[in-house]
Amino acid sequence: MLRYTFKRILLAIPVVFFISFIVFYIIQLPPGDYVSTYAAQMAASGDNMTAAEMDQMREYLGLNGSVIEQYAVWIKKIALHGDFGFSFNYNKPVTEVIKQYMGLTLVVSLVTMVFHYVVAIPIGIYTAVKQYTAGDYIFSGISFIGMATPNFLLAIILMFLSYKWFGDPLLGLFSSEYVNAAWSMDKVMDMLKHMIIPVIVIGVAGTADLIRVMRGQMLDEMNKPNVVTARAKGLSTMKILFKYPTRAALNPIVSTFGWSLSSIFTGSTITAIVLNLPIQGPVMYNALLGQDMYLAGTWLLFMALLTVLGTLISDILLAWLDPKIRTEFRGS
Amino acid sequence: MKKSRILLALLIVISVIAAGCTNNNTAKPSASKTPAETKAVQETPVATNAGTGSKEAPVLATLVGESKLPPLAERLPSASDIMVEDVVDELGQYGGDWTMSWTGPGDKWAVGMPTEEALFRFNKEGTAIEPNVAKSYEVNADSTVFTIHLREGMKWSDGMPFTADDVLFYWEHMLTKETFGKKIYDAYYSVDPVTGEKALAEVKKVNDYTFTVTHKYPSVQFLERVAIDNKWFFAPAHFQKTILPEFVGEAKTAEIAKDWGFEDPKAFLVDTGYYFWLHQKIPTLRAWVATTDPNSDQFIMERNPYYWKTDSEGHQLPYMDRIVVTKIQDPSQGLLGTLAGDYNLKSFEAKDFTVLKENEAKGNYRVLLWTQPSWTSAGVQLNQTTEDLKLRQLFQDIRFREALSVGVDRNEVTEIVTNGLAEPIQASVPEGVFGYQEGWAQQWAQFDPDRANKLLDEIGLTKRDKDGFRTFPDGSDLTLTDIESSTNADTFLELLKKYYEDLGLKFNVKVVESGAFNDMKYANQVPMNTEAISVTNVAFRPDALVPLRVITPWFGQYGLYSETGGKEGVKPEGDVAQILDLWNQLKASSSKEDISRLANEIYKIHMKNQWQIGYAGPTPVPVAVSNNMRNVPEKLVMADETRGIGQAHPAQFYLKQ
Amino acid sequence: MSTLPLFRRPKTAAIKPEASLDANYSSQWRLIYLRFKKHKLARISMVILGALYAIALFAQFLAPYGLESYDSKYVNAPPMMLRFVDADGKFHIRPFVYELKSGRDPETMRKIFETNTEKRYSLQFFAKGEEYKFLGLFQTTTRLFGVEQPGRLFILGTDAMGRDLFSRIVLGSQISLSIPLVGVGISFVIGLIIGSISGYFGGWLDSLIQRIIEIIRSFPTLPLWMALSAAIPPRIPIVTLYFYIVLIFALIGWTDLARVVRGKFISLKNEDYVVAAKIAGVGDAKIIMKHLLPGFISYLVVATTLAIPGMILAETAMSFLGLGIRSPATSWGVLLQEAQQIENIALYPWKLFPLGIVILTVLTYNFLGDGLRDAADPYKK
Repeated sequence: MLRYTFKRILLAIPVVFFISFIVFYIIQLPPGDYVSTYAAQMAASGDNMTAAEMDQMREYLGLNGSVIEQYAVWIKKIALHGDFGFSFNYNKPVTEVIKQYMGLTLVVSLVTMVFHYVVAIPIGIYTAVKQYTAGDYIFSGISFIGMATPNFLLAIILMFLSYKWFGDPLLGLFSSEYVNAAWSMDKVMDMLKHMIIPVIVIGVAGTADLIRVMRGQMLDEMNKPNVVTARAKGLSTMKILFKYPTRAALNPIVSTFGWSLSSIFTGSTITAIVLNLPIQGPVMYNALLGQDMYLAGTWLLFMALLTVLGTLISDILLAWLDPKIRTEFRGS
Repeated sequence: MKKSRILLALLIVISVIAAGCTNNNTAKPSASKTPAETKAVQETPVATNAGTGSKEAPVLATLVGESKLPPLAERLPSASDIMVEDVVDELGQYGGDWTMSWTGPGDKWAVGMPTEEALFRFNKEGTAIEPNVAKSYEVNADSTVFTIHLREGMKWSDGMPFTADDVLFYWEHMLTKETFGKKIYDAYYSVDPVTGEKALAEVKKVNDYTFTVTHKYPSVQFLERVAIDNKWFFAPAHFQKTILPEFVGEAKTAEIAKDWGFEDPKAFLVDTGYYFWLHQKIPTLRAWVATTDPNSDQFIMERNPYYWKTDSEGHQLPYMDRIVVTKIQDPSQGLLGTLAGDYNLKSFEAKDFTVLKENEAKGNYRVLLWTQPSWTSAGVQLNQTTEDLKLRQLFQDIRFREALSVGVDRNEVTEIVTNGLAEPIQASVPEGVFGYQEGWAQQWAQFDPDRANKLLDEIGLTKRDKDGFRTFPDGSDLTLTDIESSTNADTFLELLKKYYEDLGLKFNVKVVESGAFNDMKYANQVPMNTEAISVTNVAFRPDALVPLRVITPWFGQYGLYSETGGKEGVKPEGDVAQILDLWNQLKASSSKEDISRLANEIYKIHMKNQWQIGYAGPTPVPVAVSNNMRNVPEKLVMADETRGIGQAHPAQFYLKQ
Repeated sequence: MSTLPLFRRPKTAAIKPEASLDANYSSQWRLIYLRFKKHKLARISMVILGALYAIALFAQFLAPYGLESYDSKYVNAPPMMLRFVDADGKFHIRPFVYELKSGRDPETMRKIFETNTEKRYSLQFFAKGEEYKFLGLFQTTTRLFGVEQPGRLFILGTDAMGRDLFSRIVLGSQISLSIPLVGVGISFVIGLIIGSISGYFGGWLDSLIQRIIEIIRSFPTLPLWMALSAAIPPRIPIVTLYFYIVLIFALIGWTDLARVVRGKFISLKNEDYVVAAKIAGVGDAKIIMKHLLPGFISYLVVATTLAIPGMILAETAMSFLGLGIRSPATSWGVLLQEAQQIENIALYPWKLFPLGIVILTVLTYNFLGDGLRDAADPYKK
């Protein structure tokens, strides 16, 4: 097991490098570069740049070389100085931009995720136990509709309804007066108020899947011999429920946990754009659109790392949970 | 009250003198007009905090009380040199935030334009300039020497004096050295009437509050051109000296740049030299100055305690304490925020009008309809120098343009695309804007598909391919391609496609990312585009109508030809060459009458050729203003040249409590 | 306490004795079919889906208007009522609509519609409409229904260009219902092949394939889309465009399936019967085809069914970002693009009708998938 893990980690290194190059290449694949995007943006507000000005800018931003040259410079800096480059859009080092948004991103992701599990697991158990009752249909129905509605549209509709009914569309993560304010109880309350729509939108969509997995697993587990035996022995319902089927049913959920690693750090991009949430997703989206390549590149590199790590974690968990696979690893 | 009357009288005297000194063959604008208007306003005084006797905002008064700030009199320019700003409706009250939205620091001009303070600004009508940062000016008889007076005792936002040295410093160490990534503006060159040769002006200091700009040849439009090209002809020398490499050395500049978070010293100098209003550390002359990092989710500008304008009662402006700019990621959030009353002044697109209007009461705002000098709200420009030679020949054929024009039903376009807000007319100068021509709006505006088909047949596009589309006479494929950088015109283009293809002309639309679009424009790969010409007066800003550089789609590579002095691009011929000729005459002419006449000639050539074909007149600009925000003019021409909302003089906006 | 609802047999799983007797002699597929038949919700879903696909197939015939029936007179018109009883209370056997008159509110510029009860237009079946090609076979102008000319019938209202929304939903179903199917199909094949190879052979080949999957999974899709949309020529036939879109979906989508297949292979390949086959000298290809795949192919079919709704939603998300199909060609994503604008939600809420159809489709696919899974599960009684 240890050897396997070690081997996997070793293998991950070249993969991450390879990914970083491909990512860097793909970012620059769409026509134009940062300077042309910048010039277009300036032109839109009546501030036109000449071709010479653009060339000059390209030169001092180091965008003149080929993709390979640019990549070499970038990766060398990372390897030698831990310098991830510079965001053109923000006029700041990339790491600072990422740092700026990391806090709130994690808050949003973790709150939605907690909502996710806290809501989905009990409902999953409930709908399995009370299969084909009104409660089952209601909960399943809501979660399914949440899943079937495109997230961005659900967000817009909720925002509009919030405006229609309460006069406040709850845009962003804070009310205007709290954005730059120091943390206080009021600010936290204000943020929680603004979290309602994102949690519903991002939460409900994922919850449906989770509820279904949980429900399916529970139904399977409840008919297994160990449960039947326990029942025959006269153990109480609750005890049986939590001792056997729930534990077993949680396994697949735990083992796929690694996959959601990267999404925790980005948050849901499209929903965040619609709701004006100040988190990483939209920042990266704009970096990609504007070809702010070091920012986008660093971020995607980070994501790649998490994907590789996530796969690794779920593989190891899988191996650990499933004896058949475990033997396979030992064999190879 | 008494004091201000004396002040006013003084102002009148000074401005009359100033006016008297100027070139006598032209009617000099507003320096003498301002006081008269001020008087009219003064007759309707409204109960304000003037009654308390304080002439400054309570926030500042407190600071003065704590001796953290010098008293008002020391902060304002000397009494005779204070600029008195007319209020639109009534004298205001201090306090409150002007809330608005932007898409982030890339949206620099969203706060740049409303807060801009130019040396000379345009008057309300946008027809002539008036002094702003400058107090007054004189011009000699042949328009070669401009003597410009500054305001004595005027200060930067950090309290340092603003003098002619700041102008000279900007000229000598920044503009002519091109430290901030801009070439020396065209306004500073005069043209030899005979040879057409360009000569750079000379700028000299006379005393601390006076400097001269001397041109080799007459430059009648110099001040108007400066008011557009180079609004701020000055920079805080005391600050710039601490960062420019010329003064601190390359190494130190690089170090400071790093310190400010900039990777590259050049990018740093562009930002600090040109987009200075976004940076907290740079002193400005603006009514509000930056106090937070523009990258944060909320950008805040606070009142400048040294602002040099007052209302007619001597209350220091601005009335409003802060500008609070919220970062949004999608335009719909600006709309939703306005509906909910989050923003108190924001301009919109015509398509948002109905939803804004229907929610007026709920959002507690009013919708004003401002105008724009745009020629059309739904039109296409045909690149006269497009790459494909056969297509170029076609685009240059006036019959082809007429066919495209009469082949589309303008009533349908105005109803669907502009929500009935525009007239079904040709692209033309709107009435009331310089260059208006009788009958232009109706030219080729009648829907007549038969005539369109006849014209196309006449040109020789009689052959059809297997799908029924017209081909070139030699049978090769004929495709019109419109390149767009956004999906804003989608509805219009969809409709256009239907009409064009009904005429048998294959029409494609390609949407590319805005950066890529910009590159394509330079590479001459944009045959058609929906950009609308919008210009207050070609004599002030030729970019849209005269091919001087690569910028407006219709003239394409003709612009490159002018820009590179004939080394690259396409040599203008015929009417386009004539436009350039007229422009050169205009630049070298020595009287305003000549300039007006020549400019009008340029418009006439445009009318004849109709390089931009319009299918709907211009739409108004809906502006949502919260009901407690006052002194916002009912009517205004929104134009880039006159700085959009800035033209409404935001320093005198106030929130009624 | 003792009669636990928890252990009550699910009703659907209660198979009658005769059926189970039958089951002993039935093939795997027949068993699945028998169990599926018991799942009511899944059966209803299948019927609905069948209907939706039939609509897509005959879309041109069913839609009263074509894609380019712009009309400035009827911009943003609300849904119309088909009536049986007229203003005078008289009953008509043939449903009709009143003439629609439009004007504008001078204050807000909103388009206002009034019905003119003087003029009635009756519903007609097999009405004449715009010309189209029936199933791509022959030109015709006959459409299933319409109203007498010059009357107009807008069952679900119109869009910003005065086009009938109902027609657009019907015509949009062609793309929205088929893209996901083709996309999932491609990713199914790729995923199955690569996943089997990886799982069956293991070793360095497995390692290599897994790393490739990791690399593909970290592809930034957005710039890829942008590059692609810049590279696609403007006037390619809609079918080709749609092929490109599907291809990209599939090229990323197969990785999930490949991982599932691989996992299954790893756990199955050491089963006694497989080892026995190997010892008996059966070839690799045959072992995979005959012994391994049938063990979980049903499971894969389910996974695939459940992947389709994801693709339908992905197509709408792409339209949100302004990528993909562009009007006048239409898909549900294109329609939702218009619906998502605040002014449309505020002023013209009927533009959200396409959302209802998307939800219906996604739900029915999910229920169908659930039913199939229950049916395919060999342990289920």
